[in-house]
Amino acid sequence: MTVTSLARRWGARTSGYPVAVAVTAAAVAALTLIPLGYVAWFAVGEGWHAAYQQLVRPRVGELLWNTARLAVAAMTASAVLGTAAAWLTERTDLPGRRVWHVLLAVPLAVPAFVNSFGWVSLSPAVEGYGGAVLVVTLSYYPLVYLPAAATLRGLDPALEDTARALGLSPTRVFLRVVVPQLRPAILGGTLLVGLHLLAEFGALQMLRFPTFTTAIYDQYQATFNGPTATMLGSVLVVACLLLLVAELRLRGRVRHARLGPGSARRATPVRLGRRAPVALTAVAGIVVLALGVPLASLAYWLVTGTSTRFPVADLTAATVTTLGLGVAGAAVTVTLALPVAWLTARRPGRTSTAIERASYFGSALPGIIVALALITVCIRHVPALYQTTAMLLAAYAILFMPRAVVSLRAALAHAPPHLDDAARALGSGPLTVAVRVTLPLIAPGIGAGAALVFLAITTELTSTLLLAPIGTATLATQFWANSDAVAYGGAAPYAALMVILSAPMAYLLTQTTGRIR
Amino acid sequence: MRGARALAGIAAITLLATTGCSTSEPTTEAGTDPSDVTLTLYNAQHVDLAEAMVKDFTAQTGIKVQLRNGKDFELANQIVAEGAASPADVFITENSPAMSLVAAKSGFATVDPDTQRQVPARFTPPDKSWVGFAARQTVFVYNPSLLPAAQLPTSLLDLAKPEWKGRYGIAAAGADFQAIVSAVLALQGPEQTSAWLTGLKTNAKIYPGNGAILKAVNAGEIPAGVIYHYYWYKDRAESGANSSKTELHLFDAKDPGAFLSVSGAGVLKSSKHPKEAQQLVAYLTGAKGQQILSDSTALEYSIASDVPANAKLKPLSELSPPDVDLSRLNGPEVIALMQKAGLL
Amino acid sequence: MTDLTITALAKSYPDQNVLDGVDLEVPASTLTAVLGPSGCGKTTLLRLVAGFDRPDSGTITIGPSTVTGDGSWIPAHRRQIGYVAQEGSLFPHLTVAANISFGLPRRERRNQIRLAELLDLVGLDPALRTRYPHQLSGGQQQRVALARALAPKPRVVLLDEPFSALDTALREGTRRAVVAALTATGTTTILVTHDQAEALSLANQVAVMRHGQLIQTGTPTDLYRRPADLELAGFLGSTVILPATITDTIAQTVLGAVPVRRPCPGGSDSVMIRPEQLALAPPEPGAPAAHVTAVTFYGPDAVVDLKLPGTTTITARVPSHQAPEVGTETGVTVHGTATAYPSRVEHLRPAGAHST
Repeated sequence: MTVTSLARRWGARTSGYPVAVAVTAAAVAALTLIPLGYVAWFAVGEGWHAAYQQLVRPRVGELLWNTARLAVAAMTASAVLGTAAAWLTERTDLPGRRVWHVLLAVPLAVPAFVNSFGWVSLSPAVEGYGGAVLVVTLSYYPLVYLPAAATLRGLDPALEDTARALGLSPTRVFLRVVVPQLRPAILGGTLLVGLHLLAEFGALQMLRFPTFTTAIYDQYQATFNGPTATMLGSVLVVACLLLLVAELRLRGRVRHARLGPGSARRATPVRLGRRAPVALTAVAGIVVLALGVPLASLAYWLVTGTSTRFPVADLTAATVTTLGLGVAGAAVTVTLALPVAWLTARRPGRTSTAIERASYFGSALPGIIVALALITVCIRHVPALYQTTAMLLAAYAILFMPRAVVSLRAALAHAPPHLDDAARALGSGPLTVAVRVTLPLIAPGIGAGAALVFLAITTELTSTLLLAPIGTATLATQFWANSDAVAYGGAAPYAALMVILSAPMAYLLTQTTGRIR
Repeated sequence: MRGARALAGIAAITLLATTGCSTSEPTTEAGTDPSDVTLTLYNAQHVDLAEAMVKDFTAQTGIKVQLRNGKDFELANQIVAEGAASPADVFITENSPAMSLVAAKSGFATVDPDTQRQVPARFTPPDKSWVGFAARQTVFVYNPSLLPAAQLPTSLLDLAKPEWKGRYGIAAAGADFQAIVSAVLALQGPEQTSAWLTGLKTNAKIYPGNGAILKAVNAGEIPAGVIYHYYWYKDRAESGANSSKTELHLFDAKDPGAFLSVSGAGVLKSSKHPKEAQQLVAYLTGAKGQQILSDSTALEYSIASDVPANAKLKPLSELSPPDVDLSRLNGPEVIALMQKAGLL
Repeated sequence: MTDLTITALAKSYPDQNVLDGVDLEVPASTLTAVLGPSGCGKTTLLRLVAGFDRPDSGTITIGPSTVTGDGSWIPAHRRQIGYVAQEGSLFPHLTVAANISFGLPRRERRNQIRLAELLDLVGLDPALRTRYPHQLSGGQQQRVALARALAPKPRVVLLDEPFSALDTALREGTRRAVVAALTATGTTTILVTHDQAEALSLANQVAVMRHGQLIQTGTPTDLYRRPADLELAGFLGSTVILPATITDTIAQTVLGAVPVRRPCPGGSDSVMIRPEQLALAPPEPGAPAAHVTAVTFYGPDAVVDLKLPGTTTITARVPSHQAPEVGTETGVTVHGTATAYPSRVEHLRPAGAHST
C-alpha cells in the first residue's frame, strides 16, 4: 500500500474535515442566494395573474430578444477574440508579445461605462445593437483572454508537436488539439462575460440598447413599482440558470488536466512570417479600440472639459476609500469563495455543483435588486449591521463571488490533491495542510481572484450608494455625483483615477495567471 | 505569488481599519441640544445643491445633517424596504412620484403648518404629507438648422402625428414623462391617450436621459427632443458645448407638454428627530433656502417663500402648466397604458 | 521502405546546446538509437528531423525528398513522420480509439478494422478503445501513442525517450511490443534515449552524441566492444582498465598477455576490457591472482571487486554460482580481446556504473 492510498483511507475516516467545509460553503451559497430569494418572494407575492400580465407582453419579448442576441453575439465575440489573442501572444512569434500580453489584459481596468462613453462621444453611430456588441465585447473579452492565455502557457507543447507530426496544419492543430484543451478556460471566461452582460446597465444605457436590466431600472424609475420591476428580475434569474446549465453541459465530464508532468520545454512559437504584420495589426487594433478610445475620451475630458476641477482633497479621500473597500472586499470575497471552490474541485458531485452554481446568481441580477434584497433582509434580521462596512463587503461578496470562485477553482484543479494527502499522512492537521500546502499552491489563483474582485468593486455604484456607511465617498460615487450626463468634465478625474487604481490589478492578473500551471 | 501575499496582507489591515472606522462612527442619540442632533437626509437632488443648502442650514441652526445620495427611485425604494427602521429623517427628491411612493408605503409625518404656508398649494399634495421646494419645466429643445421655428409643435399631442416620425427624442422612462402622460390622460381620456402613446412609440427615438437628448439635438443627430429646462440653461451657463446650436420652445399654455415637475421634501414618520427634521424642511422651503436654490448653478425654479427664480430663467409667473394632481402622477393606469404601448 | 540521411546539420540557440555538423544515415526499415546524456543535443536533432524546429544549416533527406536544406523546408505536418514523445502525449480529451485515428483522413477515422489492426499491432486489448488516457497504465499509454503514430503509415517514426517514464516492470514489455510493431511494419525509426542498455538492446545501429556532435556510430556490438574513447566505454558499460605494454597485437598486463583488437594510433599504454571478460578460478601458482574485497549478488550473476598486487582494483562480472568468497584469493583469466587507449594510468579504477 502506498503512502498516498494510506493517506486517502485516513482522509476518508476523518470525514469531519469536508463536512466543516461543506457547511461553510453552503452558508456562503445561502448568502449569495439572498437576492434570488428576494426576487422569488416578490414574484410569488404578486400572484400568478399579475406575473403573467407583467411577463407576457410584447415589450418583454422585445427585451428578451435584445438580451439574448446581445448575450449570444458578445459572448461568442469575446470567446473568439480572447482565444485568438491568447494564441497569438502565447503560441506565435508575434513581435513584442510580452507587452501585448499586458496591453490585452488592461482593458479590464477600464469600466464598461467609461468605455461606452468614450465610444458614444466618438460617434453616435455606435448606439444600438452593433455598438452594444462592440463595446461590451471590448470591455469583457479579457475575462476570456486571461484564463485562455494561462491555460495555453500550461499546456504540454508535446501534444501540439504530436498533432503536427500526425499531419495537421497549424490551424487544424489549434482547432483539434488546443481549443478542446482550452474548453474549460474559454467556457468559464465566457460564462463570466454572460453573467456580466445580464447585469450590465451603465454601458448599455448609454448606448441606447434596452435589455432586461436597463428595463428593470426603467421600471423602478418610471413606476416606482418595486415588486413589478423585481419580478422582471425573475427572467434574468432564468437566463442565468440557462447560462449555468449550458456551461456545465458544454464543459462535460471529460478530463482535461495533463496526464503526466510532460516536457518542461516551452512551446516552439509558430512562425507568423508574412502574416506577422496582419497579426500585429489585429492585436494593435484590439488594443486601440478597447483601450485607446476610452482613454483618449477621458484625456479629452480631463484637458478640455469646462467643468474639470481638481479637488485634490476629495480625490485623495475617494481614492483611499476605494482602495480600502476594494482590498477588503477582495479579501472577504476570496475567503468566502475558498470553501465553495474547494468543495467543487475536491469533492465533486451534485451537492458541490449546486452550491457552486448558487453563488453565480447574485452577479447576474441588477445591482439595484441585490441592494434592495440586502436592505430588506439586513434591516429586519441584523439591524446592527445595516449600512456598515461589513454589510457593504457582504454585498460585494454576493455580487462578485463568481470572479473569485472561477479563479480559485482553476487553481485548485491544477494543485495536485495527492500533495494534501501526503501532508496529512505526514501528520499535519486539516488546517495546517490548508495553510502550509494548499494555500501556497493556489496563491496565484487567490491573487487572480482577488484582483478580479478588486477591479469590479472599484467601479461598483448602486450597492455602494445604498449600503455604505453614510458619508462614504468612493471614486464611483463621486464620478456619479459629478457627472450630469451631458458633460463629464467634473467626473473625468474620478474615472481616470479608477483606471489608474485598476491598472496595477490588471497587470497583476497578467502575471499571476501565468503561474497557474 | 508575492503579489498575492502582499495583497492578502493589505486586505487584512484595511479590513480592520475600515470596520474599525465604521463602528467608531458617532451614533446619534436624541438630545435636547440641537447641536447634538445629526439628521440623516436621503438626498435624490443634485448633490452640490443639497450640500450647499444643508451647509447653510447647519450654520443657521447648529443641527448637523449627513447625506446619503442616490436617485429618486433608488432611495425611495430603499426607504420602503427599510420600513419603520429607516435611518432617514428627511427625504428630498427631484420629482414628485418618489414622494408619492414613500407617502403611500412608509408614510410621511404631516408637514408643519408654518411650512405649508410657505409653499403655494399647487406644489403640495392635498394631504400635506410633503411639500414641493423646487420645480423643473418640460420644454421642447430643437436644432433650428434641422427644424425651422415655423414647424414647431404647439402641443405635445402633435408629436404622435405621422409627420413627426423619427424627428424627436424622449426619455420615456423619466419621471417627468409619466407626469406628461398623466396630464394627457387627465385631459384626453384613456382611449385617446393610448392612441397617442402608440404614435409616440412609432415616432420617437428613446434616449436614456435628458442630457443625452440635448447632446443629440445639438449634434444634429435628431432635430428635437423633450427635456427639462435646466439641462439647457446649465449647459448654456457653462460652455454651451452641448446646447449652442439649439433653442428652447415652450408648448402652449395648459398643454400637457408645459408640465412643471415638483421636487419634494418630507419628514419620515419613522424619524427619531421629528422636530429637527421639520426644521430642515421649513428651511428648505424658507426664504434662505430658496435663495440658495435660486442662486445655485442647478438652475431649478425656486417656488416657495416668494423667492424669485434665477434671473436666467423665464419667470415662474410666465409659465402656464396644466393642472395635474401631484399625488396621482404615475398612477397604475398611466403605467398600464405605457406598457401597452411598449414604452416600458 | 524509406531511408533517412542527415548531412552537416547545425543548430544553435542563444543559451542552449548547439548541434554541430551532424551526419547520420538511417537505413530503411531499421532502428537507429541516438544515445547521449541529457542536454547533449539529441532531442534537438529529433525535433529538426520532425520539422518542429529549423536548423541553421545542413540537409535532411527522407527517402527521395529533401525535407530540410537546399533552401527548402517542409513543415512537420507535411513530412509524413510519426512521433512519440516522452509521456506519449495522448490527447486527454479523446478516447483511445479517437487518439489512434486522430491523424487519419476523416472518412477513415471510423474504420474499425484499421483500429483493430493497430491495437493488435501494439498488443493492446480491443476493449480499451473506449477508455480515456487517464484510465490507462503508462505502458498502455505508450502503446496507444505508437499505434497513433503508425496509423497514417509514416515514412519515419521518431521516438523521444518513450520508455523513460515507465517503471522497470512495464518498461521491458512495452519496449518489446514497440519494437515488434516497428519491425512488423518495416518502419524506419529513430529512437532518442539516454539509456545505453535500451539503445544496445533495441537498435540495429547506435549513434552516440556528446556536446552536439556524433562521436561514434555503429552496430551495438561494435560500439560496446570498440568504443571510440574511454569516456564512451564507461558510458556504455562497466570497464576494467589495465596498464599495458603493447607490441603488435598483444598487450602485456598484470593479468598476462591479452590480444588487442586494433592498435591505437600514436601509441598507447592502457587497455580496456569488460568485467564479464574476466573468469575467476582457484589460484594457480605462477598465474595472475587477486584478493577478493567484495561480492555483490545480482541473482543470475555477481560483481566481484578484486585487488590486484600493487594498488590496482578491478571488477569482474561472473555467473553467480562461480563467485568466490570475500577475503579469499582467486585466479583471474581474461577471455576475448581488449581495446587499446592512450594512457590514463593515474586514474585506474572501475569507470562507469554497473549496468543492470
